[in-house]
Amino acid sequence: MKALDLLIAILASFNERCLQIGRHLSIAALAFMVIIMLTQVFFRYVLNNALPWPDELARFCMLWMTGLMAPLALRQGGFIAIDMFQRMLPSVVARTLQLLLWLVAMTVLVVAVRIGWDHFNSGWLFKSSSIKIPAGILSERPMRMPLAYSYLSLLLSVAMMIVVSGELILRHIRQLSGGKDPFLDAPTGPGGA
Amino acid sequence: MLIWFLPLFLLFLGLGLPVFFGLVAAPGILLWLNGQERDIVLLYRNIYNGMDSFPLMAVPFFMLAGELMNKGGITSRLVEFSQALMGHLRGGLAHVNVLSSILFAGLSGSAVADTSALGSMLIPAMEKQGYSRRFAAAITAASSVIGPIIPPSGIMIIYAYVMGESVAALFLAGIVPGVMVGVGLMLMIKLLANKYDFPAASRRYSWRERGNASLKAFFPLMTPVIIIGGILLGVFTPTEAAAVAVGYALFIGLFVLKSLQVADLPAILSRAAMTSAVVLLLVGAAMAFKTVVSLSHLPEALAALILSLSDNPLILLFLINILLFIVGMFLDAGPAIIILGPILAPIFITLGVEPVHFAIIMSVNLTVGLATPPMGLVLFVASSVSGERVESIAKAILPFLAVEIVVIFLITYFPAISLTIPRLTGFVQ
Repeated sequence: MKALDLLIAILASFNERCLQIGRHLSIAALAFMVIIMLTQVFFRYVLNNALPWPDELARFCMLWMTGLMAPLALRQGGFIAIDMFQRMLPSVVARTLQLLLWLVAMTVLVVAVRIGWDHFNSGWLFKSSSIKIPAGILSERPMRMPLAYSYLSLLLSVAMMIVVSGELILRHIRQLSGGKDPFLDAPTGPGGA
Repeated sequence: MLIWFLPLFLLFLGLGLPVFFGLVAAPGILLWLNGQERDIVLLYRNIYNGMDSFPLMAVPFFMLAGELMNKGGITSRLVEFSQALMGHLRGGLAHVNVLSSILFAGLSGSAVADTSALGSMLIPAMEKQGYSRRFAAAITAASSVIGPIIPPSGIMIIYAYVMGESVAALFLAGIVPGVMVGVGLMLMIKLLANKYDFPAASRRYSWRERGNASLKAFFPLMTPVIIIGGILLGVFTPTEAAAVAVGYALFIGLFVLKSLQVADLPAILSRAAMTSAVVLLLVGAAMAFKTVVSLSHLPEALAALILSLSDNPLILLFLINILLFIVGMFLDAGPAIIILGPILAPIFITLGVEPVHFAIIMSVNLTVGLATPPMGLVLFVASSVSGERVESIAKAILPFLAVEIVVIFLITYFPAISLTIPRLTGFVQ
């Protein structure tokens, strides 16, 4: 039991830190998207000279905004689910069911991360059509950005969700074996459209 | 064999697996059992490709614009404006609540934002004037469903993207149905007001005072004009219009009304990014789900089943409305559209229903579902804003739901209600 507590504490503190960093980057990505799109609107309609890169760069930011924020949403219970059936069950049964569902989610994520790794690596072969990396960062000359940097957003997101699910699965196991867990009992926020 | 992904998906959903995992797990398991491992790879790639989309970017932008307007004191100006116009009627504040929702709908595409913004202002005000709290919460929740029907609308952007329709056409098609819901609610308030002797909110405003209130509400009220006007004239794409709406909301919040501070921005951005991330992931999963839907020939099988019930589109539309209404009771409008759109829309389009018309039927029906017990999202929000129990709001909302159901059937059987504006503007042939 002590080992379990320790493991959960380590995972929780790791997740809290990483997800906070992710949240800040995600906020920055959204702010950046707004700036990019408004720049494009200005160039297209005021100067009558549309820029080639904003559409793709804004999409790049959106993918990262989503990827970085999703694991936090998962941890806070923001993923939309129907919990009506669970609420009708006796609490031990409901908790066991929740654990099983988390295992299903974990399986999905583990399969996804394996596919995602190949997907990410295939991204080195394809170059972005409009986003250029300036000279001196990756190579001496300016180069078009490999799409792997976009693909990485989903891979990283899935990988981080595995860690989050791991923490939640362990918490459920501890709760089922009699331990109290205020984190699991906390009301979850709505995540609706 | 593959067709069994649908029952499996419904099972997962019913047991409480998050929709995102259900959308991927059910088709994935069936593909694996079928030995189609290559298509599982496709599933992952389609999630990514589904999210990597320019039109979809309107979703985070409109969410952000809504959050900014909500925080920036724009709500109170809309309410003052509504009060100047309708406050003197019997049941004044209830009418003001509905009119504010109609106006707010032109700024935001979300019923939840509408309920929390207007509810936190109007429910206490209504209570003070002698309305019961559950009635105040009920009318707030009932009128908030206008939010995603009148453009801009988050769920219509999603529908248009998943089904390959024009966002502009859907936006335009939603205007009249949204106003109809509002007018219907006001008629019901009038009936109830006479019966229960509701108070008027204020004396009648002079035209001069009304003029002043409109001036104060001028900047917020210009938002829908810019968004819809820009899209209609072909000036902006919906995504650009959404970004302009963000810029405009920032500008009036920070510089004109000065009700917004730079220090407020990170929290606002964070909320918008969080809700958008959840929705975008779902849309990605839905695009993956959609490929399996077509691989499995499920629409053909379902179409055969549905057509065996009747081949009269009018009867089938009636049945489908009942199905959608039941689904809407348990599931949010966004996920429901994502799941059911690819399955149902092709069937009805083959039967000769105009795609935009079907989109509006689905959107309005499922949006009304946001306010139906037992799982209506806005009921929960109204409950947390007002402190009233969900069950008692659910009871008080019934007369208003009846109105909304009538509107759903009017929209279903009179296509002109939704199609006239897009036809006149050339967005639907």
